[in-house]
Amino acid sequence: MEGRETALQEQAAQQKARRRKLAGFGVRAVCFTVITALLLSYAGYVFTSKSDYGICSMMTYYRQKPDTVDVLVAGTSMVYAGVNTNILWKEYGIAAYNLCTVEEPFWIAYHTLEEALKTQHPKLILLDAKPATYPADYQKRGRVILNTFGIRDLPVRIRATLASVENPRDALGYVLKLPEVHSAYKTLTWNDFILPPDNEGRGSTWKGFNEADKIDGHRTFDLSFIGARLPINAREEEYVRKIFEMTKEKGIPLMLIGMPCPNYFQDYLYYNTLWSIADEYGIPYINYNLKKYQIGLDYLKDFADWNHMNVNGSVLFTRRLGKDLKEAFDLPDRRGDPAYDSWEECAATWKEQYPNFISSDPEANPLGW
Amino acid sequence: MSILSIEFLLLAAGTLIVYYLLPLKIRWIALLCGSAAFICLSGWHSAAHLTAVALVMWGGGLLLQKHRSRLLLSGLLALDLGAMAFLKYYPVFSGADLLLPVGLSYFTFQSAGYLVDVYRGKTEPQRNPLKAWLFVGYFPQLSQGPISTWKELGGQLLTGHRLEPENIVSGFQLVLWGLFKKMIIADRLVATTAAVLQGGELPGWLILSGTILYAIRLYLDFSGGMDVVRGFSRMAGIELPENFRRPFFSKSVAEYWRRWHITLGAWFRSYLLYPLTTSHAGIALGKAASRIFGKKTGRTVPTALATLIVFLLIGIWHSANWNAVIFGAYFGAVMAVSTLLEQFWKFLQKRLKLPKGGWMTPVRLLRTWLLILIAQYFAFTPDPSTAFSLLGGTFRNWDFSGFAERMGAIMTGQEWIITGAGCMIVLIVDILCERKKDVCGTLARTHFWIRWPVLLLLILAIATFGIYGAGYDPAAFLYTQF
Repeated sequence: MEGRETALQEQAAQQKARRRKLAGFGVRAVCFTVITALLLSYAGYVFTSKSDYGICSMMTYYRQKPDTVDVLVAGTSMVYAGVNTNILWKEYGIAAYNLCTVEEPFWIAYHTLEEALKTQHPKLILLDAKPATYPADYQKRGRVILNTFGIRDLPVRIRATLASVENPRDALGYVLKLPEVHSAYKTLTWNDFILPPDNEGRGSTWKGFNEADKIDGHRTFDLSFIGARLPINAREEEYVRKIFEMTKEKGIPLMLIGMPCPNYFQDYLYYNTLWSIADEYGIPYINYNLKKYQIGLDYLKDFADWNHMNVNGSVLFTRRLGKDLKEAFDLPDRRGDPAYDSWEECAATWKEQYPNFISSDPEANPLGW
Repeated sequence: MSILSIEFLLLAAGTLIVYYLLPLKIRWIALLCGSAAFICLSGWHSAAHLTAVALVMWGGGLLLQKHRSRLLLSGLLALDLGAMAFLKYYPVFSGADLLLPVGLSYFTFQSAGYLVDVYRGKTEPQRNPLKAWLFVGYFPQLSQGPISTWKELGGQLLTGHRLEPENIVSGFQLVLWGLFKKMIIADRLVATTAAVLQGGELPGWLILSGTILYAIRLYLDFSGGMDVVRGFSRMAGIELPENFRRPFFSKSVAEYWRRWHITLGAWFRSYLLYPLTTSHAGIALGKAASRIFGKKTGRTVPTALATLIVFLLIGIWHSANWNAVIFGAYFGAVMAVSTLLEQFWKFLQKRLKLPKGGWMTPVRLLRTWLLILIAQYFAFTPDPSTAFSLLGGTFRNWDFSGFAERMGAIMTGQEWIITGAGCMIVLIVDILCERKKDVCGTLARTHFWIRWPVLLLLILAIATFGIYGAGYDPAAFLYTQF
C-alpha cells in the first residue's frame, strides 16, 4: 500500500516536472517567435525601397498629427507631381497631404483611403481621375510593392495586395515583404536602416509633393468639345464606386480632378464616363485639361514629360486649384496654428530648394513668401 | 509543392500543431491529413497514383502473408516497379507528355521494399489501409526521400510521440541548417554550372572548378533538402534514416556510396545486390570463377558483376539517357574493379608498407575525389559528347588571364563572398561532425543566450541571402525530378 502511494507520488511529481518543463518551453518558444517576427519585420523595412513614389508618402502619413490633414489627395504620379502642397499651404493656408503612388489604380486608392481615414478626418478628399483610363485588371510586381508596402495595417495591406495580384497565391510573398525585397541587400545604404525614412533628404515633415525637375515640352490638341466616351475597366469602376460610397458613408466630401497633361487626347473619352458615374453620386469634378488657358500653363515649358507637370507647372496649377478649393469648400486657413508647424517647416525646406529646380522660373512665378 | 515553399512550411507547422493537440493514440491521423493535403495540392494525378501504389502494397502485403508465393511477389513488384518505369521511360521513347507524380521513385521503392520484407517474413503486413497509405505517403519524404523500410518508419509514424522540447529545438535547427545549405549556397552555385555549360572556348580551370562546384552544389542541394525533411520529422518525434554522411570525406568510391544517398544504396543492396549474389546463378558463377582465379578472387566475381548491374540500374534510375548509363556503368566498373582487385591491393599495401592512415589519407581522399569528379562530367551535361568535350577541355588552355572578368560574369564579388563564406561554414561543421562532434546537439543543449543569437543569425542570413521569392523557382530541387 505504502509502495503504491510512493509510486503515485513519484508519478505526480514527474507529471508536475513535465508540465513545468513544457510551460517553460512554451514561454521560450513564444519569446523566440516574437523576437524572430520583430527581426524579420525590421529586415523587411530595411530592404524595402524608401521610394518617394508611394512607400514613403504612406510611411510619413502615419507621422502626421491626428486630425490635422484638411485636404487628402489620392491618386497617381500626376497628382503627386502636380499638387504642390507647399503652395496650398503658403498661399491659401490649406493643410494638404498627397497620399499618392505611381499609377495608383482605384482599388489601391480605396484601400489606402480606408487606412488613411483611421487617423485623419479630412474636410475634403481629392481623387485623381486618371485610373479611369487604365485597362489592366492587375498590377506589375514593382507597382504592387510601391502601392502596398507602406500600408501598416496588415488586414488592409492583405486586402490591397489581393486586389492587386492576378493569382492570390502570389500575394503571400508581398504580404511577407521579404520574399519580394530581400535581394536589395546588394544596394543597401545607411539610410535604409533609419526609422522613419528621411524621404530622400526631404525631411520627416514632407507632405508627399514630388518635384518633377526637368522641362520636356509637348504640343497638344484641344479635343474637349467632343462628348464621346469609352467604358471604364470594370474593376476600376467597381472600386471608384466603392470610394464614392465609403466617403459618403463617412460624410467626407470628395472631388474628382482631371490633371492637366499633354497626353490627354484619349483620356477624355474615359473621363466623360467617369463624370457620369460621379453624377450618379452627386460627386463634383473639375477637369483641369479644359482650364489650361485659365491656369496659364505653357505645355512647352511647364511639363517634365507627357504626363507630369514640372515645378513651374505645379506652381501655376496649384494656385488655380487652391483658388477653386477655397471657393467651393469651407477650408480653414491653418497658418499660424502651432499644430500645423510641420506644414510651415515643409514649405520652408522646399522654398530653400526652389530656385535650384531647373524647371522652375522664380522670376516668372515668384513665390512671394 | 516544394519543401522550400511557404505553403509547405505552413502545412508542416499546421500539421505539427494538430499532431501535438491530438491524443497520443491518434496522432498519426494528423500526419495522414497533412500528407493527404500535400499530395492533393501537388496534383490529383500524384494523389491517384500514390493511392493506387499504397493499395497494391496494402493488399499485396496481406495476400503475401496468406500465400507466400514468389510468383505473387514478382507480379506485385512488376505492377509496382512497372508503373514507375512506364511513367519515367515511356515519355522518353515515345515523346508523349506524361505527368510524373511527385516522389514517384521514392514511394515506389518504399512500397516494393515493404512487399519484399513481408514476403521474407521480416515485416508483419499492415491491416489498416490508411496506415499503409501513410507509410508511402508521409509527406515530408515524398519530395526527395529518404527511402525507409517499414521497420525504420512504420512504427514511428503510427506511435504517437510526446511533445519533447529537445526534439523541437533540434529538429528546428536541422531545418534551418538545411535551408542554409540549399538556399544560400546550392542555389547560388546554379550560375557556375550554367557558366560551364554555356559552350564556347572555356579555359581548363573554369571547366574543372565548375565541375567541382557542381559536385558541391549537388551535395548541398540534396543534403539540405534532406535536413529539412529530417528536421521536420524530428520535431514530430520521428527519426528518419540519415541519407548523407559527409560523402566528400570518403577515402574510397565504395565508402562514398555508403555515405551518398545512403537509403537508395541500402535499398539496392538489400533488394537487388544480395539476392543477385546469393542466387543459384550467383553461387554457380562464384564457384566457376574460383576454379579459374583462385578461391579468394573468384568469390568476388559474383559481387563485382552484381555491383556493375546495380550501378547501371542506379544510373538509369537517375535518367533515361546515355549520360546516365555512362554514369552508372562508370561507377559500376570502378566498384567492380576495386572488388576484383581487393586482394591485390591488400598485397600491394603490405608489400609497400603503406600506412592505413597518415600521409595516405589525403592521397586516398584525392584519389576518391578525382574518381567522383570524372562521373560529375556526365551528371550535369546533357549528352556524352558535351561531357567528353568538357572532360578533354579540362586539360587544355590553363590560361588565367581574364580570370577576374570570367568570375565576375558568373556572379558578382558579393555573391562569391557569400558563397565562399557559406561553403566554409559547412566545411567547418562537416569537419566537426566527422570528428564525432555533435554540433546540432551541442547547440541545442547550449544556454539560450548563445543558442538564440546563433539561430536568429541563421534565420536572418537565410531570409536575406537565400535565393527565393520573385523570379525564383523553388521547385527546382535537383533530386525532386527523380
